[in-house]
Amino acid sequence: MAFTLYSLLQAALLCVNAIAVLHEERFLKNIGWGTDQGIGGFGEEPGIKSQLMNLVRSVRTVMRVPLIIVNSITIVLLLLFG
Amino acid sequence: MHAAGLAAPAGTPRLRKWRTWLAEEIGRERVWRGRRGGWRGHSRSDGGQEIQDLVFLGVHSAGMPSPGRGRVAASKRRVPVSQPGMADPHQFFDDTSSAPTRGYGGQPSPGGLGYPSPSSSHEAPFLADPMSNMAMAYGSSLAAHGKELVDKNIDRFIPVTKLKYYFAVDTVYVGKKLGLLVFPYLHQDWEVQYQQDTPVAPRFDINAPDLYIPAMAFITYILVAGLALGTQDRFSPDLLGLQASSALAWLTLEVVAILLSLYLVTVNTDLTTIDLVAFLGYKYVGMIGGVLVGLLFGKIGYYLVLGWCCVSIFVFMIRTLRLKILAQAAAEGVPVRGARNQLRMYLTMAVAAAQPLLMYWLTFHLVR
Repeated sequence: MAFTLYSLLQAALLCVNAIAVLHEERFLKNIGWGTDQGIGGFGEEPGIKSQLMNLVRSVRTVMRVPLIIVNSITIVLLLLFG
Repeated sequence: MHAAGLAAPAGTPRLRKWRTWLAEEIGRERVWRGRRGGWRGHSRSDGGQEIQDLVFLGVHSAGMPSPGRGRVAASKRRVPVSQPGMADPHQFFDDTSSAPTRGYGGQPSPGGLGYPSPSSSHEAPFLADPMSNMAMAYGSSLAAHGKELVDKNIDRFIPVTKLKYYFAVDTVYVGKKLGLLVFPYLHQDWEVQYQQDTPVAPRFDINAPDLYIPAMAFITYILVAGLALGTQDRFSPDLLGLQASSALAWLTLEVVAILLSLYLVTVNTDLTTIDLVAFLGYKYVGMIGGVLVGLLFGKIGYYLVLGWCCVSIFVFMIRTLRLKILAQAAAEGVPVRGARNQLRMYLTMAVAAAQPLLMYWLTFHLVR
């Protein structure tokens, strides 16, 4: 049972890094996931795609600075302790 | 005598009843007039209660029917009461967790006096006593101050009051809930009772989620896993930590996945994160049963009991989550479109189907 809390933490960090790395102009717009392409009507229930795009955009905005800090700490700790 | 009787609160019982009879009549009249729309308490914040307050009968002097009648009526229904003496009027359960804090002031004095100074000619210990007294008093006041600080600020990090709700259980509730987890097929009413927009404490409603059973079941699962590994000569202490970590990691993953899917499908539900942790923790009960029977009767017993518990948890989760996830749409008056409700039904079934899978995954390596 190699699935521990530590591996969950690692996986979460890698996932958030992956979301932060997606480039707005070169990639997301080309597949139709740009932030200005998801605007639906006001009275409509947002569909899954627009919710996902909102989520990606929020994660990128919110986690930009904390990710720098957490990544630096992780790099230092992994260098020191393997 | 009358003037003294008016001023003094403690009169003879007969005198007091005479004095308060008129107030009682007026008070009762006011309370009864509100009966058409329900009980409209004139001095309390809770309205619309058809239930007689047991504690209120004893505390409030005006506007009360006779205590005997009220007590008999109220004892039939175990419903929480709002004590006017409680600090938080929105706390709808008896918080039996706070121990009376006797303050640390009582400690230094017996300690200080306990130091004997048998010989009065010996100056040093006699002089040292007031110093040690002072030092102990200072230290104890520092400790009390620190405790106050922690108590004030703990609510910012861990929602203690909300957590206390989930631990407001008693033996009857635990027994009934365990029975429900193993045999949910005959239970009819799965709605959680509400009292003014807050759910009733688990002590009073069997459908309310609690954290006591999941927490205890998780710890018992770890211990039973250690026992199972020990009987197979595979035990080592770090394996216990590994089991605990693994189970917690799966729980966290489940919670995150369900929260994510609830967000994506835009379900407006009052299912909080702690509620979700509580519901997902109920599967440990079945796991414990399966592993224990597997230890006693081998693989056949394990598969039988685990199969039974898997089906029970599946039915339990579907019936509980259906009310939380699907009923919101019906209650809001949103036009029930087929696609949206179908998506929610799929979500409920996926959550319920993940439970048996995880139950098997987390226990099959323990029974050989």
